[in-house]
Amino acid sequence: MIGHDIFLPAPLPVLSAGTMVMLLAIAWRRNVIRSLVIAVVTLLAALVSVSHAFGTPPADGTGLFVQDRWAIYTAVLILLSVLCIVFMSWRDLVRDAAHPTDEYPLLMMLGTLGATSMVFSASYMPFFLGVEILGISLMGLIASRHYRFAQATEAAMKYLILSGVSSAILLFGMGLAYGVSGSLAFVPPVAAAGFAPSMAQVATVMILAGMFFKLSAVPFHMWLPDVMEGAPPPIAAFTAVTAKIAIFASLVRYFGTGPLPPFLQGVIYAVIILTIMGGNLLALCQNSLTRLMACSSIAHMGYLLIAFFSPGRLQGGAMTVYLMAYTVSTLGVFTIICACATAMGQDGNRITAWKGLFATNPLPATTMSVMLLSLAGIPPTIGFFAKFEIAGTGVELQRDVLLLVLVIGSIIGLYYYLNIIRVMMNGGAAPSLPIARQPQPELTALTIVLTIIVIMGGLFPGPALYPLLPATVKTMPARNLTGTPPEAPIMKTAIAPPAL
Amino acid sequence: MSLLPALVVLPVAGGVIAWLADRLHVGTGVRMRSISWFVSVVVLVLETVLLVVESLRPALQAGGWRDHFFLPWIAQMGIAVRLDMDGLSLSLIWLSLLLCLACVMFSTRQVTVSAGVFHFLFLSTLTGIIGTFLATDLFLFFFFWELMLVPMFVLIAQWGHEDRQRAAMKFFIFTQGSGLLMLLSILGLVIIHYRQTGVLTFDYFALASTGLSPLGSMLLMLGFFVAFAVKLPVVPVHVWLPDAHTQAPTTASVVLAGILLKTGGYGMIRFDIMLFPDATSRFGPVAMGLGIAGILYGAWLSCEQDDIKRLIAYSSVSHMGFVLLGLFSGSWIGMQGAIIQMLAHGLSTGALFLIAGSIQDRVHSRDMRMIGGLWAAMPRLSGAGVFFAVASLGMPGLGNFAGEFLVLLATWRVSPAMAVMAAAGLVLAAVYSLRLVNRVFLAPTRPGAQPGTDFPARQMALLGGIMVAVIVLGLYPRPFMTFAVPSALSVTAAASGERRAP
Repeated sequence: MIGHDIFLPAPLPVLSAGTMVMLLAIAWRRNVIRSLVIAVVTLLAALVSVSHAFGTPPADGTGLFVQDRWAIYTAVLILLSVLCIVFMSWRDLVRDAAHPTDEYPLLMMLGTLGATSMVFSASYMPFFLGVEILGISLMGLIASRHYRFAQATEAAMKYLILSGVSSAILLFGMGLAYGVSGSLAFVPPVAAAGFAPSMAQVATVMILAGMFFKLSAVPFHMWLPDVMEGAPPPIAAFTAVTAKIAIFASLVRYFGTGPLPPFLQGVIYAVIILTIMGGNLLALCQNSLTRLMACSSIAHMGYLLIAFFSPGRLQGGAMTVYLMAYTVSTLGVFTIICACATAMGQDGNRITAWKGLFATNPLPATTMSVMLLSLAGIPPTIGFFAKFEIAGTGVELQRDVLLLVLVIGSIIGLYYYLNIIRVMMNGGAAPSLPIARQPQPELTALTIVLTIIVIMGGLFPGPALYPLLPATVKTMPARNLTGTPPEAPIMKTAIAPPAL
Repeated sequence: MSLLPALVVLPVAGGVIAWLADRLHVGTGVRMRSISWFVSVVVLVLETVLLVVESLRPALQAGGWRDHFFLPWIAQMGIAVRLDMDGLSLSLIWLSLLLCLACVMFSTRQVTVSAGVFHFLFLSTLTGIIGTFLATDLFLFFFFWELMLVPMFVLIAQWGHEDRQRAAMKFFIFTQGSGLLMLLSILGLVIIHYRQTGVLTFDYFALASTGLSPLGSMLLMLGFFVAFAVKLPVVPVHVWLPDAHTQAPTTASVVLAGILLKTGGYGMIRFDIMLFPDATSRFGPVAMGLGIAGILYGAWLSCEQDDIKRLIAYSSVSHMGFVLLGLFSGSWIGMQGAIIQMLAHGLSTGALFLIAGSIQDRVHSRDMRMIGGLWAAMPRLSGAGVFFAVASLGMPGLGNFAGEFLVLLATWRVSPAMAVMAAAGLVLAAVYSLRLVNRVFLAPTRPGAQPGTDFPARQMALLGGIMVAVIVLGLYPRPFMTFAVPSALSVTAAASGERRAP
């Protein structure tokens, strides 16, 4: 590739530059507050520059990156969620003066770079680099709790091994795809003349399996609860939110929004059913809150896959709204866990430690309930509208079995989410939770902002519904890379009787 | 200017004010515990004034729709805030307000633990219920339908009796789970309509004209039916009800039995029968069978209970069986009977729960074996209790009788055997009602029982008002029979576009 046809979305160089500045600063003198400030500034700069790019996209569609509305939307979600996570970790990092932890913001920036690179990539190369950067920095982050060394190391090792396996599968699939199609473009391979079509199918299935690993779809889900339990709560949120957004965005980019190839239909059908039921049933028998969130995250990925699997008029809106609802609600839950964690000793992991929170700390208890209701899909929260949209996509394509599974899964989900609320209401003899250690204005503010988003998003979800999806890559690869996706047909709405 | 949005929003806005007022009082240390109670009374009085204004307006047009409000909401999906009021919704809103006023006068003042939150939840439930009665956009309807669950769940789980949390979970999961099936039906109807016309809309009147295959309409109708059957409740899915009613605090019991169950009946009329008349008539025999099962099973279990609130709860199952029977009898007279029965049951059972709650406050027990005769100590309370128990057994001249009689009449035309079985339920109703009267009010006073205070005059006046309403319903149901029926779809569908034209 020569200099004049480089096309580079601006957030990537911004994030890289920020990381390097931080490295320089650390090399000069360690100071965790300065590193955190650099991280925040970099993230804000990346947010501002998210829709800008260097160079012009090549017209023949052979570029490394693409910058359409789907990429920008998911990148914004990623950057905002990392911003939240930085604020969540702030207090713990600053207070831990004896143990300099500049690596933490550094790895977080690197992970963000990886995730952002994944959503912007239009070729296997940046995608795989992004996956690996994200995976390796996550490993360091997961092991970052020195005071719970054994669990943290165990979680990090589990993550390393399983992430390595899935990367290997992905890489093998990509190699095969390159071999049969002769192209590195980030689309399902079409076998060139002289190759058996089944080779291309094998490559597609392997890439899909690798993505399912990262997405923790059942039966590739076993690592997620262990990893999230061993990681510090903000990093658990990073694993559950940021990494998932990146890989789901790539999945949608890879297969496009049209109907999936026939040989994948059965597989995806089965994976969706297993993911929803498996996630929900596993969550039912957890007594650690982080593990429960991990299992519920698995189930939510299953709901998202229903939308992914149902190309239709409602698909675009459903995916964007659901991603947003999932991100905001999960981040909210983890913010509250962080706010209450140290007071509970066990990092707020045991659900029973939350007993009586309504009596002692009504604000976190109320906001936590709002977040959980949003995850369960109860109005007036954004989660309700998101689930409504997901059901809409399924009904549109008449995925009857999937809808049934969605209903059953939601009922199970309702039980375990309500159970947490029930525990928080349970007065009991002695409130097991001492009043919060110190005022935490940044966490309180973050919680309130997220709650407002959840409620307002539930009441006025219209703005989140704009068609953001990439065009069907498979049929029109060139159009997808021009930076201006084709306008989605605008839905006709009912002619309303005039109001007064 | 339509008052309908004000009617919906006022309670929840008042609830927020009540909550804030309570918080501020805690902060300033002023000893006025019942500030949130005063706010609630003011809100309900204002709401009543609004409703009076709304009732006195002339109907907008011949179809019977009295008022209309429209505001686009989520334009991309064709979702709007559309509210319409006809005689049916107006009557049910009157019922809701009357019972809520009674709750406020009788019981909410005794709530001392975070009273502000209690009133906020109480009033937001009312918003959900009124919204459900008014919404004519299917998404909005579902939104309100789900919205009223959360505050009710918290009311039961936080302020209920000994086994409250299990009951609250059961209530929530049953209603929400069945609600999801209704959601699928709504979406199915919308998508079929979209395929036929190319218009994506959730408007009730537009969707009513959707052409459906027999199988499709049956499936969609069943999705709605299950959700409403859980709320009503119909027998195999009634298991949440006895627990929820028994464990709920008095206010929540009254709202549950008096109003929340009526949303199920209302939904059946508005969304099953009006939208899918054909599928409803084919499904009629099954639903009527379920109704008979409910009548007999509820009454039978009711006879076995020692817990006074449980007894009333099971009697509700039995009475709601009559509603189901009437609605699915396929005749106009059956529907009128079912509506009268809904109104009368709301009043009489709501009042019975109020009285049961008052007994529990005074005697600290719901066990009829422990209560003993109350007549000597509390003649007013006992007199009111006897009156409503007798109303609930179907004494001629009182509201429940009018409803049950009309339903039986309609059932007889369809199947005499069914009418005979349903009438057998009335015998059981006499058994459990008289057992209640005998054991709680007329039995000899238990030795050592401390006489509690009787109802003060203010509360008796309110109960008297409810009694008058029950008597009027029983002696002269004709105006209700013509007024409280749902308005026809076709008239509105044709006229809704032009009636607002200048």
